[in-house]
Amino acid sequence: MTTPSFRDIEQLSAYLDGELSHTDAVRLETRLGTDPQLASAFEALRQSRAVLRHLPQRRAPRNFTLTPKMVGQKPPLPRAYPFFRFSTALAAALLLFTFAINAIGPLSLGAMAPAPSYGMGGGGGAATEEPAMALEAPAATEAPPGPEIPPAPALVMPSATQMPPPAAADSARAAEATPEAQPKQGVEEQAAAESEAESIEQAPIPLSWQIALGVLALVNLSIVFLMQKYASSKWRE
Amino acid sequence: MDEPALIHAAQHGDLNSFNTLVLAYQDALFNTALRILSDEEQAADATQEAFLSAFRAIRSYRGGSFKAWLLRTVTNACYDELRRRKRRPTTPLEPGTEDGNEMETPRWLADPALSPEQQAEAEELEHAIQHCLESLPLEFRTVVVLADIQGLDYSDVAKAIRAPLGTVKSRLARARLRLRECLQGFWELLPAAFRLQEGSRA
Repeated sequence: MTTPSFRDIEQLSAYLDGELSHTDAVRLETRLGTDPQLASAFEALRQSRAVLRHLPQRRAPRNFTLTPKMVGQKPPLPRAYPFFRFSTALAAALLLFTFAINAIGPLSLGAMAPAPSYGMGGGGGAATEEPAMALEAPAATEAPPGPEIPPAPALVMPSATQMPPPAAADSARAAEATPEAQPKQGVEEQAAAESEAESIEQAPIPLSWQIALGVLALVNLSIVFLMQKYASSKWRE
Repeated sequence: MDEPALIHAAQHGDLNSFNTLVLAYQDALFNTALRILSDEEQAADATQEAFLSAFRAIRSYRGGSFKAWLLRTVTNACYDELRRRKRRPTTPLEPGTEDGNEMETPRWLADPALSPEQQAEAEELEHAIQHCLESLPLEFRTVVVLADIQGLDYSDVAKAIRAPLGTVKSRLARARLRLRECLQGFWELLPAAFRLQEGSRA
């Protein structure tokens, strides 16, 4: 009969909890039957455990349930929320796109589409060819009237005044020059007016489209905002 | 309560399911924290922190005792709380005295379900045990709280404190011995029912 060692205390404690192997448990039980000090130590451990196990369990002073805010969850949004968010972004992007197109539109048309500007006489290439055509046309018409016109003054002039032949030739030349200059000037003015009108009226993206896109973006943004507010207000803290 | 189903749902982010588990285990976690920290306010903070950590880490739960898994979380939260306490010492809720007879009964111990006599006995017992628990080193206190107060087996305690089984066995034996010595001083104060008989859960 000796004072129990710490090894004995460990064995007794584990035996109390049923955590000892069967062999060790049988051996310890034999010693407990013959060693009063060991039995006394076992009783002390048993008492300690009994007291601890009867310690009153306190109720939690409050509920420790977690809120979505605490765990960083976002409020549940309606199913349509992604659609409106996407359409808002799309409308806004398209609106910006229209502004960009309208800003660079005339430049890009001049560079990328020479055919219309060619017709309007605005292009550099057209300026060189058009006068040539204009020159050719009078030349073609000059040849047949050439012989016809001089006879007309020739018929009148002898009866009225003795117009010198060089003057008749000058007036004939002037008559020839005016039909040639007037059509050319008229074409240029008309072309300039047309190009101005088209640049104002025929912008690549009409203003009405831009307004529609802007309204759509604003309406959808409002819906998205309201959905968020509504979901947050329903969100329990 | 279908615990596995609730855990499964919580692992997929269902907060309501997790909160059902919180309600089921909050007393156990709070008591564990209270016995380790000896301060209700800090115990409440540690419990809340433990549940928050548990929700965030619930996907790492791989079966076994869910209570043991939660108690491991609250043990860690208590250690964090104690580290904070060391950095910022605060006035304890219960004035620490060497003489157990002079300890005053805090109001939060009152339990209206008990008769005045039973309440007095319960308060006496609780005071004595808490005083003796406080006298234990932290590592012994934690083991004895988990094993004897919360009823975890050795392997679960070992997982909770991340220590070998032999360490748990050794610490528990030492803690029980020291508690026995400490409680000797309060033996006269303890209710007769707890003096020399084994508990019903033995």
